[in-house]
Amino acid sequence: MDTLIGQGLVALEMIVDPGSFQRDRVGAKEFTDESYGPGAVVGTATLDGQTVTVIASDAEAFNEKFPVVYAGIIGMEEGYKMASAVYATLAADVDKPAAQKRPLVLIVDTPGNGPGKVEEIFGMNKATGAYQLALAEARMAGHPIVAAVVGRAISGAFLCHGLQADRIVALDAKFGTMIHVMPLTSVSRIIKKNIEVLEELSKSNPVFAAGPQFFYQLGGVEALVPEIEGLRGAVIEQVAALRAAKAKGEATGPVGRAALGAARGGRVTRPQVAARMTAEFAAVADKYRPHA
Amino acid sequence: MPNWSKLQTRSFLESSARERALGLVDEGTFTELAGPFDRMSSPHLVALGEAVEFDDGVVTGVGRIGKRPVFVISQEGRFIGGAVGEVGGAKMVTTIDLAVAFAEELRAANPKIAADELPLVAISFETGGVRLHESNAGLLAHAEVMDAFQRARGKVPVVALIGSRIGCFGGMGFVAAATDVIVMSEFGRLGLTGPEVIEEEMGKDEFDASNRALVYRTTGGRHKYIMGDCNFLVDDRVAAFRAQVAELCRLPVADFEQFRRIGSAALVEKQMRLVALAAEMQPKDAYDVWRRAGNNDPAGLGDAPVDDFRKQAQRLSV
Repeated sequence: MDTLIGQGLVALEMIVDPGSFQRDRVGAKEFTDESYGPGAVVGTATLDGQTVTVIASDAEAFNEKFPVVYAGIIGMEEGYKMASAVYATLAADVDKPAAQKRPLVLIVDTPGNGPGKVEEIFGMNKATGAYQLALAEARMAGHPIVAAVVGRAISGAFLCHGLQADRIVALDAKFGTMIHVMPLTSVSRIIKKNIEVLEELSKSNPVFAAGPQFFYQLGGVEALVPEIEGLRGAVIEQVAALRAAKAKGEATGPVGRAALGAARGGRVTRPQVAARMTAEFAAVADKYRPHA
Repeated sequence: MPNWSKLQTRSFLESSARERALGLVDEGTFTELAGPFDRMSSPHLVALGEAVEFDDGVVTGVGRIGKRPVFVISQEGRFIGGAVGEVGGAKMVTTIDLAVAFAEELRAANPKIAADELPLVAISFETGGVRLHESNAGLLAHAEVMDAFQRARGKVPVVALIGSRIGCFGGMGFVAAATDVIVMSEFGRLGLTGPEVIEEEMGKDEFDASNRALVYRTTGGRHKYIMGDCNFLVDDRVAAFRAQVAELCRLPVADFEQFRRIGSAALVEKQMRLVALAAEMQPKDAYDVWRRAGNNDPAGLGDAPVDDFRKQAQRLSV
């Protein structure tokens, strides 16, 4: 097996306990309409014996109602279906203490968000925004969320399905794993910079180029998985580590990755900006207190 | 420093990010944070040999409206289309974080503090999303802003203002959708995929990106008002945006949930009903949806003065 691109469901079965995946059921919620957001696969499985919610994209599915949605694209129905699965997960564990909330596993292989006219008329931006807010809420409620990038994690679709996770693991680039906003060739054309120059700059600065290794340096993914067989172990390991990290109140998710980006030397300006603004506000904060 | 009273009469569309920031809050109350004198510009643009701005194209700071501390983020479309990179993204996130921390501090000091003495965040969007010159850092910054919004939920209201030249697209399109309240002028545009990309995807027959009227009625303020995607449609003046924010400033944070479009299971259910309508109607044009909402003469309504539009427009309900 040299790639998992377009095989999100294969990856799903490899990661969860064999034969445990129950499609279309999350807690009390059943997703009964097969034609609704068919590119979004949601359900419940066990992972090393623990109940988990799984959300993935099916690259084979085609949305008859919204013809721009195929090949794993997240359209309006798909985005809201994924958001619903997260809210159903929150509802299922609402009475459990934070430490016992079930994990969510996101299998990431998606090339984009629905780019059509009907999508703009009705507001595609809300669908992808809704899913991100749901994930952020679940993460903050204590659910460990691990994203496994097994194929394509492209731009807005990665923001939607991946970047709100507590932790992200990505399969090594040798399996064709793609993480980017745009390929460097397109960036080169649009910003009118020579591709050789960009490639050279990418050796010392990871913000320009496409690929999981650059996102690793930026703290955009926590870990790279060198072999496909290692995916399951990597996800199990992250869930366990997250339970411990959350119990200690350590930063995870986008805040955790910002710190990681600084520690790995990939995003060093970000903390300087934050520190400067915090100091500047502290100096004037009295002016903005009541009765000042 | 521009004259504050003069700023109020200015077109919001024509105003720079700094003018919008200054004009939004009470006269003389704005303190810029990480302003141009700090020279926090993008190291990545420097590496590319590109020109930088010392504020990285986003003005951040704090002012007051009445008693309320108002934290402001204002994007400048004239600098690389308002696109967000590492520094600009960090400025956005830190502004929200400072507002949340300040709210918590004020509440801890006085649990009975009045609602209108607690912070609010106002974001004047003018952006196409990720800055391609530093695309990876820009993408990660978007995720941080979304996360900061969720952390601000129930603590600090976040208000989006959209009425500038570039509109609000790309990843920032869903960032704006995730705020509590959206205020637009008829010249504001909000969406995910910009018109040129739709044309490329669907062909010029389906969507002609050079057709300004078509572009505006697909993503413009009037359409978003009918769809319920913007809460308030205001005149294209700095004073009009300011007046709307000032009115919102009187509300306690809990009251802001009523304005939201997304952010809960119930709201997602409601959006799914809208999507079902989209599937059923398969509209060829935004005006089809206006008609469905009960507007019998969409073209007439689209051309009417904005004041008449506000009085006459029927908003879609599902």
